[in-house]
Formats: sequence, structure tokens, C-alpha cells
Amino acid sequence: MRVTYLSDSRPSPVASRIALTVSAVAAAGLVLTPLAVLGRSFDGNAVLLHLSGAALNLTSDPQVLLPSSGTTVALGWATLILMLATLVGALRRERWFWITGLLGFATALAAVLLLNGVLNAESARITADTTLRPGAKRTLRNFYGGGGMNLGLFLPMLAGLIAAGAGLSARQVWWDRLNRLRSLLVPTVAIGLAILVGAIVVLLVQPAVNGTGAPLSLWGGWLAKTDLVYFVYSTLFAPITRLNPFLDSLKLATPLIFTGLSVAFAFRTGLFNVGAPGQLTMGAIGAMLVGVYAPAGLGWFLLPLSVIAAGIGGALWGGIPGLLKARFGSSEVINTIMLNYIASAIFIFLIGSETFPFLGRTYNMPFKAEGFEARSNELQEGARLPTLLQFFNVGGNGATVMSLGIVFALITLALGRWILGQRKARNAGLLAFIAALVVGALTWRIGIPVQIAGSQLNASFLIALLCVAGFGTLMWRTATGYALRAVGLSPKAAEYGGISVARNTILAMTFAGMFAGLAGTHYVNGGALDEYRLKGNMPVNVGFDGIAVALMGQSTPVGVVAASMLFGTIDTGGIDVDLKLEQINKDIVTVLKALIVLFIAAGGFLSRRVTDPPPPQLLKAVEATGKADAAHLDAPVAKAEQGTPLPNVGLSSESNTREGGK
Amino acid sequence: MQDLLSQIFGISFLAIFIRSFVPLLLTALGGLFSERSGVVNIALDGLIIFGALSGAIITKQIEPALGPLSPWVGWVAGALVGGFVAWIHAVLSIKYRADQVISGTAINLLASGVPPVILAALYGSSTESPKVEYGLPLWGVGELRFSPPVYFAFVLVAVIWYVVYKTPYGLRLRATGEQPGAAASMGVNVRRMRYSAVILSGVLAGTAGVFLSIGNLDSYVRNMSAGMGFISLAALIFGQWKPLGVLGATALFGFLQALSIQLGGTDLLPPTLVSALPFLVTILALIFTGRSAAPKAIGKPFDG
Repeated sequence: MRVTYLSDSRPSPVASRIALTVSAVAAAGLVLTPLAVLGRSFDGNAVLLHLSGAALNLTSDPQVLLPSSGTTVALGWATLILMLATLVGALRRERWFWITGLLGFATALAAVLLLNGVLNAESARITADTTLRPGAKRTLRNFYGGGGMNLGLFLPMLAGLIAAGAGLSARQVWWDRLNRLRSLLVPTVAIGLAILVGAIVVLLVQPAVNGTGAPLSLWGGWLAKTDLVYFVYSTLFAPITRLNPFLDSLKLATPLIFTGLSVAFAFRTGLFNVGAPGQLTMGAIGAMLVGVYAPAGLGWFLLPLSVIAAGIGGALWGGIPGLLKARFGSSEVINTIMLNYIASAIFIFLIGSETFPFLGRTYNMPFKAEGFEARSNELQEGARLPTLLQFFNVGGNGATVMSLGIVFALITLALGRWILGQRKARNAGLLAFIAALVVGALTWRIGIPVQIAGSQLNASFLIALLCVAGFGTLMWRTATGYALRAVGLSPKAAEYGGISVARNTILAMTFAGMFAGLAGTHYVNGGALDEYRLKGNMPVNVGFDGIAVALMGQSTPVGVVAASMLFGTIDTGGIDVDLKLEQINKDIVTVLKALIVLFIAAGGFLSRRVTDPPPPQLLKAVEATGKADAAHLDAPVAKAEQGTPLPNVGLSSESNTREGGK
Repeated sequence: MQDLLSQIFGISFLAIFIRSFVPLLLTALGGLFSERSGVVNIALDGLIIFGALSGAIITKQIEPALGPLSPWVGWVAGALVGGFVAWIHAVLSIKYRADQVISGTAINLLASGVPPVILAALYGSSTESPKVEYGLPLWGVGELRFSPPVYFAFVLVAVIWYVVYKTPYGLRLRATGEQPGAAASMGVNVRRMRYSAVILSGVLAGTAGVFLSIGNLDSYVRNMSAGMGFISLAALIFGQWKPLGVLGATALFGFLQALSIQLGGTDLLPPTLVSALPFLVTILALIFTGRSAAPKAIGKPFDG
């Protein structure tokens, strides 16, 4: 990476090399992969457009009418020239190659937009055509709707942006801006590598999609294969671009937020919580017991009680390994895994069968609902969480009117914090929060009418966001959080400073368990499995996904939310991939998540000097005097460097036991 | 009562006991190498699965050509794949200084995602492989007929005891796990020792997997390991990282597993709860085990 004190204003060799690599890849992509898809049927058969202007028809209908693509190809050639210019510029470490990179991005983007315009016009023409049968109409509309960019345009867009960033990093302002994003480097590289390896898996297991029935030439086969990779990934990430699939992906993201927070909380204290599946199970059981069997006279009070029961169930199941670790020094990793199996046995015991034998006699199991399926009785009305649609709907008489109260409240919060912060008021955060609450309550009845097909996203999403806020406040704004983080960073130093390692180990695991247990509310109170019951098909594996979420999100609350939404998206997209392709099932998503964990564990194969470099001031001081201890940081630099470093889980796992504390 | 006892502890119990004992023993002996060299191997469970899967698939694929010889090739393949996956863990934790627990967890996550993808691509079913025609042969008398990995495992205990305590390799292995710096100063190649130990642990866990898929049954079934890798790891700690201790500890856990299988068939206790018994006892056993016998450098990357 560039060292800023050098008086060389050209982009650094590393930045140039990055730009060189990406522009070479993009140029190769333009020439070697399909530029765009002119149309695609449901099962993936596509008409591919190459830079040469030739269209390769892989659909079963050789007569299909193709939209005009002349401008797209022309813009593709322009992009190729710009990419080659960037390549030459990067090779010679010129100062200007960020401009050609950015222009390359712009032309590729223009090509995509133009193509989409043409395809939309085609769809409109089909809609207006009265001679077509409705079925044929829908097929054709879907065909053109499935078109769009492909690798040949996607790669230059990505490469153009990266090259522009690399070129601009020669300027101090941009260097500082980019430097602030450095912590995103490892997750980004890990995702990139996982996508690359996943692409190889896709290429190996899935033959090219070809509806023509005729064998493909070598070149055609290659184009079809590369298109396949793009098709799989664009389907995986598609839910992010449309409202209803996006709401679906938020629904799948909700439990991931909970379990991600759970793992992240333990990480911060230097513990590794592999027990989220078990804690989730016990939380769900707790929510069910209260939700079904608490006296109905409690009314609306049932819901909070049931949610609390979920938290307690999980907290208990997390607290046990915490206690064992603090008291006996036994590894929380193995104990949480063992407790997963025990929780699963209890789960099946409760709802798996209507009778059970005990000491030779058979007893009835009251918790299982009658019938073949493994499920509990239904929750009482008062213990159910509304869907978000019901929750925010302030319109009467069946009209859907979304309340804007929360938007106003958020604006007030941001404005309040900014204004009060400017005036250096005390308790600025608290005051702004109260103001936001008031504004939110006052504006609750104001709403906008919307058109949404029913979404099953339920209010446990709000509980998850509350937990995110709670996590952040507890960890970074309270003395308890300080102690927890201190134990995570260095148990011995914490013990020496008067912080009880044992107590904080128990506390951290209890909180971690609570977060995972609350995920049970999503499935039981929220009815995410289509019924307001505890059901045997509850996907407890989201507990393991929590590990990937916490690592991706670098154990920060905001990071956990972002990573959960990413994983929720590819989970939703994975179902589509499963439907559309023969040989690939949604387990490819599990593989991707595992690969992400693998690559993050390896630090993205990046050198420590890249991911966590010494500050330039320090380097300068060392260079000037030749001695390391002569270096010291100015106050603002030191503040910027502080951040919140991640604890080393392996290190503290070994030493924050009672024996280690001695 | 007399009835019940004879119902549980018969000759068939002995057979079940040996079948639950052997995979634990093989895996824990593998884990012994890895942890004695200073690398935590939580990936054992995933390694079992990879071994079981590749053993079953390779045997199935080459059956038409090789006939009764194919399960032996399948065994070798399962062991090699186990070794290869362990090598990934080794590269991450030795070369890239990854957190060894997280790297191992990543392997376990891979083991839950990769088999369905491969099975769906090859056979169109994501949960199990088709039955193989030739499993590993069964040797023995009457009800006590076992496939070769069983005998292999018992021979291995003696071999490993000899290797760890009586050979230069064993001495270097133990030194690497206790004081890598001191070992390096005496000319031991710490990294190479660790690579070899982790790969060996993969080979042995892979063998345990092969035993489960084609030595005990005749196909790969989803979640075949059923937590055995983790129990072996606990047994390794309970056995204080010593070959004979591991033998005793895995015998105990194997006995409990067999007991829970047998009790599940009676009307004495609810079978679902009884199936959790080995896991519960594992937790209890860990309570009464100190960590003082652990290799000193375990979990710590070596710079040098």
C-alpha cells in the first residue's frame, strides 16, 4: 500500500498493480464472456449477445424475435478501448488512469441502461399486442424481462470503479477516504474469493443450460458456461432489487440478526459460542410454553411474557457453558456443541411423540398437538406477534396505509443529535432519543398508501433491531460492556485491573444465549413457519449461520445487520436457483457461507501490513530516528487508530479460565 | 430386573459397543496427533463426514470395474480426502495464522454444505448416496463380525503409543506442541511437524468416516457423524492427550453410546432423552478434567 510521506504524486506501485489486474480481467471478460442476455426463459435458456455482435440462441425457439442491440455492442467496444487505456495507464503508473477507469464504468453502465430500455420497450410492445394469447404473452414478457447485462458488462463496471479508486488513492484526500474503508477489506475479499470458488463448483456440477437440443461448439459451450455462472449469482442476489423478494429476504435475515448478535457478543468477550442452535431451540420452547399455557386472562401481557420466556430459555442454555467455563475451565466450544444435541433431544421429546415410556409404563405427552406432524399446540391470540404490515398499517377499511411515524422519528433523532452535538449539550443522545419518541408518537397516524402483496415479515424484526441497539449501547456505552470487552482483549490484563474474568465469562455467555433464544420468537410468536406453533421443521441451523454473520459483520451491531441482510438475500435467491436449475440445490448457499467463514479466518489471505498497517506517522517517526520507541502519535491520529480491535478468540479461549487467570 | 439386564447386556450389546467405540477411537487418535503438535482440531467431525462421503462415492463409482476390491480403494480414497481437507485446516492455521477454532468450524460448515451439493449432482438425491454392492468384508465369528477398520483401530493404539513415546518423530511431535521455540532451536521443522500431524489426523478421521459408511452400513447418510467428532475431541481431553487414556475415554463414551442405543429399545426411559445421554456425560466428564495436561502451545500459531 501507498506510504503517504513519499513525495511521489503518482499512484503507488501496489495501486497501479491492482488497477492493472482488474482492467486486464475486465478486458478479457469483454472479449471472452457474453456481453448481455437479450432474453431468458424461466429455466435459464438464454439468447447471449457477444461483443462481436453475434447472438447465440440457446432457447428451444430458433425464431424468437430479438431486440436491436447495435448501441449496446458499440458501447461495449468503447468500454473495451477505455479498459485497455486504463491498462496501459496503470502499467506506466500514469496519474490519469482513474479517469479512463471511471469513464469505462460510465460507458458500461450506459450500455446496461440502454439495453434495459430496449428490453422494457419490447415488453411494453408485447403487453400492447392484442393478437397474443395471455399465456404466450406472459412467457414472452418473462423472456424479455429475464434479459439484461452479463459478465461482459458487469466485470468492466466493477473494474472501472476499482481502477478509479486505485488511481485516486494517489491524492491525499481520497487516500484518507479509502483508508476509512479498510476494515471492510477482509470481508469483501472473503466474499469475492467465496464467489470465485462457488463459481468453480457451479461449473463442475451443472452442465450448460441449453434448450436447443443440439450440441454446442467449443466456443458456444464456453459462453453458455460463463453465462451459467452469471445466471446463478444474479439469481442469488436478485431479491435485493425488488420489493417483495426483498421483504422475504428480510424475513430470512431476522433470525440471522439474532444469532449473529449472539455469536458476536461472545466473540467480543473472547468466547466462541457454537451453541446458538441449542439456545434458539430452548428459547423457542420457552416462548411456546408461555404462549400456549399461560392463563389467557393476562391479555396483551402474554406477548411480552412469551418474548421474555424465549430470552430466558436461551440465556439459561448459554449461561450453563459460561458457568462451566468460569468454574471448571472446560471449553465452551465443546460444551455448547454438546448442549446443541441435548436441546435437540429435549425438543424432539416434547413435540415428537404423543406418548413416552418411563420405567416400564407409558405416559402422555401433553405438549404435542394431535396429528401426524411434530408440532405443539397453537399459541393464544394474545401471544402472537403481528406482521410488520399489520403493525405499521394505520389505514382502516382494508386500505394499506403505511405509517411514517418511524421515518419522522429517525429524522428527528439524526437532526437532534447533530444540532445538540454542535452545541455540545450534555446527554445529547438521550435528549434526541426522547424527542424522536415524541415525534414518532405524534406522527404515527400520518401515512402513505402503498401497494404490497402480503408479506410474512413479522414484528420480531423490530425486536431484532432493538437487540442491535441494546448490543451497541451495552457494549460501548456502559461499564459492563467495558469489562466484557476488556476480558475479550486481554483476560490477564483485565483480571489485573480488577475485572472478574469468571463473572464476565458467565455474563457474556448468558447474554449471547439470550440473543439466540429471542430468535425463537421469530418462529413461534411470529409464525414464520406459517403457523403460530413450535414446529419440528424449525431450521435450527441458522444458529451456525450466526457464526458466519458475526465474522462478516466483524462483531459490530451494524455489521451484523448488514451481513444478515446479505445472507438473507442469498438464502431467498437460493430457493429460486433451486427451482430453476436441475443440478444445483440451495445447499450451494451453505457452501458459500462456509467458504466465507474459511476465508475470513485466513484474513482473506492478505498480509497483516495490508489489513492492519501501522499508521504512517509512526512509520515516519521510526524512519527519521531509526528507533521504534522514538515514535509517538498525535492525539487525533491515536484516536483514529483506537477503533475497536477484535479480540483474538483462540488466544483468550485458552487463558480466561480459572487456571489461566492465576 | 434380571430380564432387563440380560436384555440389554447380551452378545449383541458387545457388537454394538464395538461399532460405536471404533469410530470414536480412530477419530480421537487422529485428534491426538493434531493437538499434540499444537493445532486445535475442532474440524474432526467434518473430516469424518468427508471421509464417509468420499469412501461411499468412490466405492460406488468404481464398483463395476473393480468388484470386491473397490471398498478397499474406497477406504484409501476416504482417508486421502480426509487428509486433504485437514490439509486445508493446516494451511489456514499454520501458514495464515488463522484462529484454529474458527478455521475448524469453517471445515465443519463445509461438511454440512458440500455433501448435498455433490450428492445432488451425482445421484439427484441430497440426503444419501445409493447403496454400494460391495462393502468392506466382515471378519469374525457369529454376531461378532466386524469390518477391517475395527481391527486396524486396535492395532493402531499400540502403534501410536510406540510412535509417540519411542520414536524420534514422536519426541519431535511432543516438543512441537509443548515448546515450539525450543524444538525449532534444536533443528526441528515445527511447521512441517504440524502439517504432518494435522494431515494424519485427517487420514484417521477419514478412516473413521469410511468405517461408518461402507464398513458398518452400505451408503452415506446425511449427518452420518452425529457429533462423534466432537465427542472424540472431548474424549481426547478426558484421556489427557495420551494414547492409552484416549483408549479408555473412547471406550467409556462408546459404552454410553451403545447403552443409549440399547436403552432406546426398552420401555425404561424415553428413547429421545436417552439418546442425549452420551452428550450429557461428555459435559460432566469435562468438568472433572483439568486442562493442565494440555500441550502448552496448543492453539497458538508459531512464528519463526
